[in-house]
Amino acid sequence: MPLTGNEYYGLIVTRIAVYWVLIAGLNLIVGYAGQLAIGYVALFTLGAYTTAVLAAGNAFAPIPALAALAVAGVAGAVFGVVVGLPALRLRTFYFAISTLGFATIVTQIALAWQEVTGGGIGVVGPVFPAPFDDTWGLLYFCLGFATLATWITANVARSRFGRALVAIRDADVAAEAIGIAKPRLLIMVFLLAGALAAMAGGLFAALQTYITPDAFTFELSLLFFIAVLIGGRGSILGPLLGTIILTLLPEVAAPLAAWSTFLYAALLLAIVLAVPGGIAALLDRRSRRPLPANRTITPRPEAVRALIAHDAAPGALSLRGITLSFGGVRAVDGLDLDVLPGQIHGLIGPNGSGKTTTLNVISGYYRPEAGSQSLGGVELTPGLSTDRAARGIARTFQTPRLIGEASVLENVMIGGTTQGQSGFLEAMLALPRHRRDERLLEQRARLALQAVGLDGLAEVRADRLQHSELRFMEIARALMLRPAFLLLDEPAAGLAHEEIRRLAALVRAVREAGTGVLLVEHHADLIFDICDQVTVLNLGRTLAAGTPAEIRVHKEVVSAYLGA
Amino acid sequence: MLASILASGLAVGAIYAMIGITYNTMFATSRVMSFTAGQLGMLGGVLGSLFLLRLGLHPVLALGLMVLGCAAIGVVTEIVAVRPVLKSLDQHLYVLTTLAMALLIQQFTAIQWGTEPQPFPRLLDLTIGGWEEKYWLPVATCAVTILGLEYLYRRTLVGRAFVAISEDNFAARALGLPERNLRIASYALAGAVGGLAGFSGGQLLLAFFANGPLLNFYGFIPVALGGLGNNRGAVIGGIALGLFQQAANFWVGGIFSSVAVFTLFIIVLLAAPQGLFGATASRRVWWRRSSEGCCPSWRCLALASPCRSPATSITG
Amino acid sequence: MPISAPEPLLAVRALTAGYGKIGVLNGVSLDIAAGEVVALLGPNGAGKTTLLRALSGLLSWRGEFRFDGRDMQGTGPREGARAGLVHVIEGHRIFTQISVTDNLLLAGYDLPRGERNARLEEALVSFPEIAAKRQERGGTLSGGQQQMLAVAQGLMRRPRLLMLDEPSAGLSPVLVDRVLDVVSRLRAAGTAVLLVEQLIEKALKVSDRVYALAQGQIVLAASAREPGLPARLERAYFGQE
Repeated sequence: MPLTGNEYYGLIVTRIAVYWVLIAGLNLIVGYAGQLAIGYVALFTLGAYTTAVLAAGNAFAPIPALAALAVAGVAGAVFGVVVGLPALRLRTFYFAISTLGFATIVTQIALAWQEVTGGGIGVVGPVFPAPFDDTWGLLYFCLGFATLATWITANVARSRFGRALVAIRDADVAAEAIGIAKPRLLIMVFLLAGALAAMAGGLFAALQTYITPDAFTFELSLLFFIAVLIGGRGSILGPLLGTIILTLLPEVAAPLAAWSTFLYAALLLAIVLAVPGGIAALLDRRSRRPLPANRTITPRPEAVRALIAHDAAPGALSLRGITLSFGGVRAVDGLDLDVLPGQIHGLIGPNGSGKTTTLNVISGYYRPEAGSQSLGGVELTPGLSTDRAARGIARTFQTPRLIGEASVLENVMIGGTTQGQSGFLEAMLALPRHRRDERLLEQRARLALQAVGLDGLAEVRADRLQHSELRFMEIARALMLRPAFLLLDEPAAGLAHEEIRRLAALVRAVREAGTGVLLVEHHADLIFDICDQVTVLNLGRTLAAGTPAEIRVHKEVVSAYLGA
Repeated sequence: MLASILASGLAVGAIYAMIGITYNTMFATSRVMSFTAGQLGMLGGVLGSLFLLRLGLHPVLALGLMVLGCAAIGVVTEIVAVRPVLKSLDQHLYVLTTLAMALLIQQFTAIQWGTEPQPFPRLLDLTIGGWEEKYWLPVATCAVTILGLEYLYRRTLVGRAFVAISEDNFAARALGLPERNLRIASYALAGAVGGLAGFSGGQLLLAFFANGPLLNFYGFIPVALGGLGNNRGAVIGGIALGLFQQAANFWVGGIFSSVAVFTLFIIVLLAAPQGLFGATASRRVWWRRSSEGCCPSWRCLALASPCRSPATSITG
Repeated sequence: MPISAPEPLLAVRALTAGYGKIGVLNGVSLDIAAGEVVALLGPNGAGKTTLLRALSGLLSWRGEFRFDGRDMQGTGPREGARAGLVHVIEGHRIFTQISVTDNLLLAGYDLPRGERNARLEEALVSFPEIAAKRQERGGTLSGGQQQMLAVAQGLMRRPRLLMLDEPSAGLSPVLVDRVLDVVSRLRAAGTAVLLVEQLIEKALKVSDRVYALAQGQIVLAASAREPGLPARLERAYFGQE
């Protein structure tokens, strides 16, 4: 039973469905992972030609159209990774240009490889077996495909993998500290998106019945790309609406057809400059509801205990002879440091004395030129930031690193990304083990929010929070790892006196639960109030070390720290 | 055969090099790589053909008007697509805004000018020792452009202000340099250079609305090869690319030459993200922006996620 | 508080500034009279550099801020420098690719050419060793020489108030004295100076008055000659005054 009696509308709906199959996958790459792949028409072309050529038997003996479509999917997955690989190393514009280059050459190859692709004359599109061989059959087939693509990509988007993608996009440094391995994750998404794109191409070839290189213009690529951005980053519904609007626009306003790409571009410019959140932000009414004005953060020590209490002490975090220079300046110069479990260790010193550099060495962001570091007697691999989470080291940052568009709860759940049991495939298909992972993560994240006192704000978008609340949210995210050691980089900066007092209570509770804390801070009162040990750095070296009481009266410290 | 490869290789190489310089010039004052670079090259050809053939103007007048037109497009780009997103450079919104701007230019041209390639006339009809005009003109224009820019950067205060801004934007602002005006000026200059590329290469590329993306890609390769912001590197990279492409075209044929160029591009980018000749010194800007320290060099631009910094320092 | 004129050269009331959501300064008020040298002291992270950046228009701020009788709301560094409010930023960030001369000429970008060249000589008088290297690229200078060049860049504007952010950082004691000598000389010539310094004793020697900043607020204002000042400063930093 046809949806409408009008074949023309049937074709348009089929086209929307076909485009959406590609855009659903591209959405994970552009909208979630933030990789600006502008040349995805390349994979679409590849899939269209692979399906058509294999079904027509231009290269080998003809195979059934559905098998050809499956082969195209596999080829698309492989090339999806090939096109995507530069993203692991290159930054945005370089990556965008490399996908643009790929799109350019695929069309050129289609044109020039005449014996296989038919060159400019083209090749006949595949015909799927009945009942999918007429307009309406194909429509239902494509709609089914589109539904499947939506379900799969939505499952990925809502899983810990989807949240990790967004973390890579908005807070890549924090993502490393959480233990998210960007290459593996991106490769999985490139496989999925590549397969979807190529199969969309195969469906497109069937829809067109005859394909030539002219059909695969760069403008088509931009339609895909812009549909995601107009829809809004980190949303499924938004890009779906974007796809529908962009495909319908030239159809409903026939005189505008020639101007359609111009309009897409104008729309893109307007969206980026005026509504960065896209359609999704316009639909999101929840985030416009006002938040209570006088809210206070009240950490709960008992929740901290329930969340991170340790059975066995893990041993000390030790640095020996760490040395690192930048441009000839020794930022850290032969530093020895021992942080004991269940202690708060303060690290203070003037600007440029090497405090944050030390944290970054421990976190594995910097590889020291000399020296060793170990946790519980086992060496920490220098410069390997993504294994610190597994070793039980969590941290916060001077400027909170967060995902503004995600809710506070999701931001905290990201902290537990490495703790799931299920794999990417299980998440894609929403299998039971994946669902159990998600439930557990959410429970623990709510507990972490109670621990830092933000449970009232769990569902609020993170970018609506005040600065002080973001600091506590970052601590909650770090606690998700149940860390043996917590590194805090100026947690009190920008906090009011009352908030600093609450922070002190929270850090003490973390210590009581058995976690060692390394605290870099300028607020001398906080340092002297809560630390068990204090190390003073100057010019990358230890100027003094001891209890707060000893440091407080240390002559050189007073002069170096306060200036004299 | 070798002579013809050499002639056409040098010619397209010079065009690519000038597009590379267009990228560099915009980048120097704004840290933005703009997709409009290739469109400016396309416009140089289209405006040239418009003024010379359709309107029948004198070549000098046509050249002047073309340069003014492209410079104006450069300024509009700065105002519409660059300035609004400069505050959040780290979000890379400029990739989207300049892409949109480039598309607007391209589609407007397609509708007003037509989608068929149109001829571009000979300007001087001067063959030097068998070296046809369409082949030597881009090379000569590229040489003049380079000399002009060298003069600007080395001999004039405005030029040195460009150098200063590109090295340390913050210090330049603190010193009271008119950063915004200089940025606008550099976008106008980039427009002129891009236009010259398309104008001088008009007889090779024709006046064709779809030249933009191609020039974007092939013009970016010299930048990637020569190092971001390094104009001399862009010239060497551009010429090398042109010769390689034309030689590959001849020896292995069209498809595989584009595959070869693309593969080479990816390999070079992955192996030497700073380019083969190094980027210009902008180390301090990128390092000092950070309060947590980040990779202290050009690598911040080409490589993924090395710069672990907020937009401004929060120390002090 | 010795304020000589009814309207001081620089008058700041309840100034707040920060980076994004992070508030650094919350309600800073201070005055500087013409020709006065004021030291701005405070522990790390107190907001000294932020204050200087706000005053020179490099950072947006809220509150009240008048310079030389003029409301400075919405003015950028360029207008500030023209009005005689010059900021020499921290870390001797001179331009390494161009010559010493060009570094100085750029500092006088807006001036007529003749005036610019005259001031170049004037600015170099205090620093013979960089005057000798005027044709060399900025990058070839030592750290101390770069700092002197940065101060000389500030002098190109003939400032009415010169704000120096840690001019002694990375300098040998001899060079520190030279830079601070310049401060004394400027004072004698009637130029006011706002000096951010870590070397408290040296800073106090050349200053008339002191403000101490801690956690984004002025916690102490005193004469630089006041007995027992270091002890008071220390208490102020720890929030006990």
